[in-house]
Amino acid sequence: MGSNEFFQEFEVFSKKTSKAAFQHQFSLLAPNAEMAMVMAQENFLRREPVADIWVVNRKEIRGLNYEEKQMLNRLDNKEYRTTKGYGYLKKKWRHYEQQMLDEKEILSWGEK
Amino acid sequence: MSTNAVEMTPAHKEALAELLFQLADDDFLLSYRGSEWLGLAPHIEEDVASSSISQDTMGHAKMYFGLLEELGYGKIDDLAHGRSAKERKNSILVERENGAGYYMETPRYDWAYAVVRNYFYTLAKKVKIDSLKKTTYQPLAEVATKVSMELFYHHIHWRTWFTQLLSSSDEAKERMNKAIEGVMADFGDVFSYGNASQSFKEFALIEDATVLKQRWEAALEEVVKALHIESPIIQQPDRNGRLGEHTEELDRALSTLSEVYRLNPSVPW
Amino acid sequence: MSSSVVAETEEQKYEQFMERINRGEQIEADDWMPEDYRNALIKLISMHGISEIMGALPEKEWVPKAPSIQRKLGIMAKVQDEMGHGQLLLRVAEDLLKPTGKTRDGIMQDLFTGKLKFHNVFHMPAPSWGDAGLIGWLVDGAAIITQTNMLNSSYAPYSRALHRICAEEVFHAQHGESIIMALAEGTEEQREMVQDAVTRWWESLLLFFGPPSSQVGKSKQDITIKYKIRPKTNEELRQAFLTKYVPRILSLGLEIPDPTIRFDEEKQEWIYQQPDWSKLKEIMKNNGPKSQERLNLRRVSYENNAWVREALGQIS
Repeated sequence: MGSNEFFQEFEVFSKKTSKAAFQHQFSLLAPNAEMAMVMAQENFLRREPVADIWVVNRKEIRGLNYEEKQMLNRLDNKEYRTTKGYGYLKKKWRHYEQQMLDEKEILSWGEK
Repeated sequence: MSTNAVEMTPAHKEALAELLFQLADDDFLLSYRGSEWLGLAPHIEEDVASSSISQDTMGHAKMYFGLLEELGYGKIDDLAHGRSAKERKNSILVERENGAGYYMETPRYDWAYAVVRNYFYTLAKKVKIDSLKKTTYQPLAEVATKVSMELFYHHIHWRTWFTQLLSSSDEAKERMNKAIEGVMADFGDVFSYGNASQSFKEFALIEDATVLKQRWEAALEEVVKALHIESPIIQQPDRNGRLGEHTEELDRALSTLSEVYRLNPSVPW
Repeated sequence: MSSSVVAETEEQKYEQFMERINRGEQIEADDWMPEDYRNALIKLISMHGISEIMGALPEKEWVPKAPSIQRKLGIMAKVQDEMGHGQLLLRVAEDLLKPTGKTRDGIMQDLFTGKLKFHNVFHMPAPSWGDAGLIGWLVDGAAIITQTNMLNSSYAPYSRALHRICAEEVFHAQHGESIIMALAEGTEEQREMVQDAVTRWWESLLLFFGPPSSQVGKSKQDITIKYKIRPKTNEELRQAFLTKYVPRILSLGLEIPDPTIRFDEEKQEWIYQQPDWSKLKEIMKNNGPKSQERLNLRRVSYENNAWVREALGQIS
């Protein structure tokens, strides 16, 4: 044990408002999560509103190294997954004198 | 019932000012001691975190001095920098040096003392602020509500340090216990109102000191019990800062904190 | 895309790395990088980080003494930021040091033994409140010039830290200007305070950017430029500083202690009296006027509180 255990790495995440998603801020050294938590806001968020904070010991994070990032590559041939592949419907619906239900229209239903 | 400054009798105003000086001087001196620590804490991240607490605390002092300025007692900066030790109403605890040595030379500051002093003080401040939220002087009640918002963090921060150090190495426990002794030796006037207990009561400015003292002891009781240490007991003070009785440590602090101000107190800096 | 090909040999890795650099891509801590890139970053960033930590010391002298509550709060927040910048930069350096096994404690030990240097300006005395203002105004001004130069550094974690830092530097610059302005518009005594500080700091400010390439071997500058860690040379940065700040200094009626300084329209550059470069060498050996005192202060506070780190290293 000894002083090495004092310098554990914690990644700090926070959100600006209760509705916002968590965002990564930076990392700090602390002997444990409780200490990391009482230092997190003042180290990285002294001047902005904060609605919530997470501190995560880096030991608990599995990330990708540069070689592994190749698993993120993919071909640009997946129109069938997106609205891009169904654009022709607009013309079709016009034929039936109906409007196409596009993203803008559908998401607007949530506002009502 | 709330009162405002216009309809106050001279005796009422005097009592209110007495209380405000006690509150302002306490926070001002403690935050000054915190500012000496800046850059010297045991860990960089903690240096940054605890400096925010010192800044908040000095901000609280500024609000109390601001209320005094409104009551016609002088300008904020003259009140903070221009008053002699005899005029200061802070408790002995907050004027104590951080440890041996001047902050610019070879300061051997004691982190255990910083933790215990800040934790016990914050707990006392919390008890007072909760009572002040119900004070009859509305502007002070509003300040108390604001201060209380920031105190929550101060309290958690120092409690975390207090409990962790007392749960760690034998050396840390020994240092912490010594620090508790040192802090308690000066704690006698923290809950003292000096000569003003009667008038504070008369104008319903703050609850009786013995009530607050009990609340402090009860709040601490739970924490120390879990740490298997004895409950600190507040003693009668041999020297009472509320009566303007102070140590040389305050003289030295005042001379440092007003060094530039005194070059010319009448011009803007 | 070439990056999708797995590099097998060191040469392939290097080639791929240089392609990324030249495409303007940024490198992350876990990516493969050549040793000289890592070493240049470690040297640059650990010196930058420790300079922030040491830079807190001359200013902190004025924190308890600041002349009003507002100034006390302002300078406390400013020095707190310096410690915070040290925190960000040391975290970046510590991650780069991972393969060597060195931790923050090792960085501190390197500082104490003189292996790790800190910036020349922080070896200088700050004897008056005017110096507190001047550090915020001109020393931070110079630091802003060098730091913005690296905002788009090829090393992503450094670039992210610098974005945070530079955002706060805007407050620092204004904090310094505010102190200087009050003094410059104040009494005779206050004006003298600023003038003395300008006179005292001028040479250090020129030294701050380091020697022009012709004066020393340019390998160190070259490697940071080759790897796109920074785009501009020392002299370019010094010129940018003079362009931004000389007119401001003069506009407040202050004198620069160099009667020869002028902007040459033809060459489009500042002509100025060269500082004594041998002073920079002495300072970098920790033989500056305040080097030993400041190191002592840092060492005492670090060692004095070692028990805290040992104690909490046992809880988890």
